[in-house]
Amino acid sequence: MDHRLYFVLGDLSANLVVGALIGWFSWLLVDTDWNMMIAMIIMMVVGMVISILLWLPFSILFGAMEVMVPLMLTGMLSGMVVSMYLAMESLGAWTCLHIGAASGFVSIVLIWIFNNAVRGTQPAPWR
Amino acid sequence: MADLRTQAKWDKAAPNFDIMAGKGAEERWAPFKTELFSHMDGNILFLALGTGLDIATFPTGKNITAIDISPKMLEVAQPRIDNYEGTITAHAMDVHDLDFEDDSFDQVFTSCTFCSVPRPVEGLKSLRRVLKPGGELFMFEHTGSRYYPFKVMMTLMTQISRKLGPDMNRTTVANVMAADFEVLEVNNLFLDVVKTIKAKK
Repeated sequence: MDHRLYFVLGDLSANLVVGALIGWFSWLLVDTDWNMMIAMIIMMVVGMVISILLWLPFSILFGAMEVMVPLMLTGMLSGMVVSMYLAMESLGAWTCLHIGAASGFVSIVLIWIFNNAVRGTQPAPWR
Repeated sequence: MADLRTQAKWDKAAPNFDIMAGKGAEERWAPFKTELFSHMDGNILFLALGTGLDIATFPTGKNITAIDISPKMLEVAQPRIDNYEGTITAHAMDVHDLDFEDDSFDQVFTSCTFCSVPRPVEGLKSLRRVLKPGGELFMFEHTGSRYYPFKVMMTLMTQISRKLGPDMNRTTVANVMAADFEVLEVNNLFLDVVKTIKAKK
């Protein structure tokens, strides 16, 4: 991860906000009439597409690929998790916002952990 | 003959390019670019100069030949070229069709270039042609990822992004090897997506 506080807080806030917004958007679309698996798959894709649109303003402030890749993961995870809950039971918008934000938090932490594992000089053979 | 379609795409992007890329991405990448460009020595070719955002990370006092396919980008870059404490000679030129003699340069530097070059292996072979024997290639690039789910995400994203600008799923390290360069080092800066590559002819 980038250790500069501006980028750490920027990455964190971008993923919390985008996760929450996609959670809320899922709440608008999905209800208990939906088949859970179909809801999860559809909202995973929809979440990823929305995250690309929401990436634009954050990219101006915080960077390109380092913002886009985590946000796409957040979009997938938030859309999938929130729609899974919504297909099982009726939830309020506020709850969906929170679950979405939590998904964004999990995403960025996973990215930080994975980044620490794969960054740095790579041994041959290169691909 | 320049690739007019690619040229038109980047000409169109030129007026607003700094809004998108001038703050977040440049501030984030500046320390890594500064380190990479600190290796500049001898007769240097730089591509693609774009709006000249990278010039702030160049060491001073160098004599650099820079190219970009977009004349509009170079127009935006001109004040930065003028303010550089050294010499930058900029040309509107397609990497596939370099107007330089064989074995002209000691080093070639690229910065987020081969995400956008339409025929990357041909472009890299063109760079190899103008490098002197033993000449060095230094690249700062973003590429696709070989890890899931990032690989799938970036392949999907490329269907949109290539209409506006770069591809997100390039296999640039493999392309460098396919162009007969000897890869010396690959350094991942963010996941396996943003990286520096050092190679020699």
